[in-house]
Amino acid sequence: MTAPAEIFDRGYRRYEGERTGVWQAMRSVLWHTIRSVLGIGRKGRHKVFPALVALVAFLPSIAFLAFAVLIGDMLSEELRPPYWELFGLPILVVVLFATLVAPEALVRDRRDGMFRLYLSTPLTKPTYLLAKFAAVMAVMAIVVAGPVLLLLVGYTVQNLGPDGFGAWIGVLGRILLSSVLIVGFMAALSLGASSLTDRRAIASVGVLGAVVGVSIVVGICVDAIGLRHELRVLDPLGAPVEMAARIFGEVGPAGESRGSAATPTWLVFAGVAAWTTVWLSVLVTRYRRLTAV
Amino acid sequence: MTQSVSTVRSVLLTHRLLVRQLLTPGRLLALLSLGAVVVLAAVGVAASDEVEDPARTIIEVMDGLGLVLVVPVVSLVFASASLGDLREDGTLVYLWLRPMDRLSVVAGAYLAALTVSLPLTTLPLAAAALVGKATVDGVIATVVAASFGVLAYSAAFVLLGLMIRNPIIWGLAYVLVWEGIFARFSEPVGNAAVRGYTRSLLANLSDVGLGPAAEANTSTAVLVCVFVAAGSLAMAAVRLNRLEVD
Amino acid sequence: MSNVSPPPPPPPPPLPGTRISSPTPSEPLIGAEDLSAWPGTGPVMVEAIGVTKSFGDVVAVSDVTFQIGSGVTAILGPNGAGKSTLFRMLCGLTQPSSGTVTMLGRNAGADREVRGRIGLAPQQDALFDRLSAGAFVALAAQTHGVVRAESRTREVLAQVELDVDDPKPVGSFSKGMRQRVKLAAALVNDPDVLVLDEPLTGLDPIQRQRMIALFGELAERGKCLLVSSHVLDEVARLGSNVLVLAQGRLAAAGDYRSLRDLMDDRPHRVRVGTDRPQQLAAALIERGSARGVTVLADAVIVDIDDIDGFGRIIAPLTVDLGLRLDELVPLDDDLESVFRYLVERRR
Repeated sequence: MTAPAEIFDRGYRRYEGERTGVWQAMRSVLWHTIRSVLGIGRKGRHKVFPALVALVAFLPSIAFLAFAVLIGDMLSEELRPPYWELFGLPILVVVLFATLVAPEALVRDRRDGMFRLYLSTPLTKPTYLLAKFAAVMAVMAIVVAGPVLLLLVGYTVQNLGPDGFGAWIGVLGRILLSSVLIVGFMAALSLGASSLTDRRAIASVGVLGAVVGVSIVVGICVDAIGLRHELRVLDPLGAPVEMAARIFGEVGPAGESRGSAATPTWLVFAGVAAWTTVWLSVLVTRYRRLTAV
Repeated sequence: MTQSVSTVRSVLLTHRLLVRQLLTPGRLLALLSLGAVVVLAAVGVAASDEVEDPARTIIEVMDGLGLVLVVPVVSLVFASASLGDLREDGTLVYLWLRPMDRLSVVAGAYLAALTVSLPLTTLPLAAAALVGKATVDGVIATVVAASFGVLAYSAAFVLLGLMIRNPIIWGLAYVLVWEGIFARFSEPVGNAAVRGYTRSLLANLSDVGLGPAAEANTSTAVLVCVFVAAGSLAMAAVRLNRLEVD
Repeated sequence: MSNVSPPPPPPPPPLPGTRISSPTPSEPLIGAEDLSAWPGTGPVMVEAIGVTKSFGDVVAVSDVTFQIGSGVTAILGPNGAGKSTLFRMLCGLTQPSSGTVTMLGRNAGADREVRGRIGLAPQQDALFDRLSAGAFVALAAQTHGVVRAESRTREVLAQVELDVDDPKPVGSFSKGMRQRVKLAAALVNDPDVLVLDEPLTGLDPIQRQRMIALFGELAERGKCLLVSSHVLDEVARLGSNVLVLAQGRLAAAGDYRSLRDLMDDRPHRVRVGTDRPQQLAAALIERGSARGVTVLADAVIVDIDDIDGFGRIIAPLTVDLGLRLDELVPLDDDLESVFRYLVERRR
């Protein structure tokens, strides 16, 4: 008879637990990207920039709310900004936030070799990019949707909000729709520009150039050279805000022109869709060519 | 076998190395295209029938595009990278652990940034001013204001590159938010922004009024730019000495 | 239950030949002419006294004290033991949280002259990737103030078997070639103290052999070489002086063979070759001469506490038993065993 024997530690062993698959992997990438960008779980200095930028993005809403609290019901409707304008007031801050978020989300993985590691999991390039896209959208929503939602809630508390539940839901729906479209546009543009380089700093400048630089060129073409004002639908700073204005049934500054008809709404949406498509194509093409090993 | 490295030689060695490191095709192309945008704007001004006073309008374009965007962004990209990139990628040790004094390394980095940034800003802006039918004073004002802007911004951004790991986004935050938003609405904030002084130089030398945030006199504007540059470089040398090098 | 901290361990013995006295940073710099007196009686060239380095809550190096003179000293330790952090502190690249570090009697980070007499090959792979090997090493020579920088560049690149005229940028080099570029740059100023963090990584066996020979030559010329490596048999060939770091603390310092002798809680293991191993094993156990035995076909592996005593009894014993004694080989007084014992104790 042999003596009883037992091996307590075999060293490496196969993982026998539950395999949660691609969705869980995507969720994991999404969550870790959000954590990384916002500095969650990192030292305090990593949180300073996103916190400051978010604060500045909320300043206009906070200022309007403070005004409403001080004056209360006496604040006439004319003095209250339309909700869509709150997408435009902090737009430069939104761009600044994008110069941080997209390079941090995308470039770091390629530089540190994490991208290759991710592709050794159930993730593929499309699912990886989808998770990154969702993460960037989620983070950008803080500075895009946050200020407008704050204003809606603040005005509602001050009895200055939309009249009746139906109208309130209608405004909320328009805010959410505008936010999703603007955030999607910004995410496509900033991720596309960031995919072109392996240096975060250059990616940040690239994002700035893709938004502010192109905006300036469009401005020059229309204002200085005198090309048709409809060209403003290609202004990455103005077009998203104009789109939000149209969702609220109004015409914004990028859709107006002295002495001529407002730009058609379909054209505004087409302009935003065109840029989104272009930058998504850049992103996908770049990653398709990227070798994982 | 070795002898001490003189300050001038340290500056020159650092300068030569960093100019080579900074001049990448991608950076050059991106920033040249930024300068091209200003030239394009100038072409628009020159060609437009609606512009009543091109000499004035082109100075406003130099202000709105050149001093507000091109000068700070080009300075930011090169100056923050001069020592910041070395710190980020772990090569700073090859300059740091050498018998060279810190100020000469910082001065070499600053001069390298200027060597690249000055032509990339002043040449397109001067060309744009000429194309846009600026007066001779307007062209000179543009070049002088841009040059002093590059001098001040570059020093500040060399320091920034040594202070934080991601200097570009903080630099952009300074340019877009501090100078672009807060400085417009608050005079004290405007006084603490380089842009106010470069705009003052442009306004004073071209004799074109550029509004309330450009009212410093010429000598004050020059002195502030020089003071910002000297102060930033001194702080950068101190910072470099205390830096934790990888 | 009381929580009693163990008393602090006594400071490790200085490495052979080092001075116990601690020069303060204000003392004059040790001149190159002093170094010729080494080994054995020359000055302390690198010194750490009570050095601790913390990164937030993580203590990377804890209360480390040692002195080193000329010759090769290997810093050993598992990953994360604090070797690179210690090297960075020695070169002044980072300041200790407490304690003092001096190189050639001064703080390297704050003293230009000392910086000119140090050569560092850091662990990280970063180089100025757009420069050629010649340009990179020439830059190192110029920034060190080497008088004939060009010929010296040629000389050190030849030592590491790289072509000074090769125009290819170092960014396109293999890991081994990059490693040799780093070594050349560290050697170019003929430094008095060479700090080499994993210098043999990426080199092929022949290059390793040549580098080890080169380090030996430098040590003979009175240079102080601090080398970290994971390849223990190569470290053993570099020399016998080691500093062993484990979990940030200095586990041992000195000649590793002497360290082995000091480990009296660990039995020595010896292979005794014989024609009748079973008979020898029985005799050793019966006489109490061995703590344990393992019988092989042509030998006995013996665990013993007193290796000198065993050496004295084994020959007469085999004669008494009428056995043939083929070989007597110590199995665990090599560096790897010493290292393993020291590190295992801490885990």
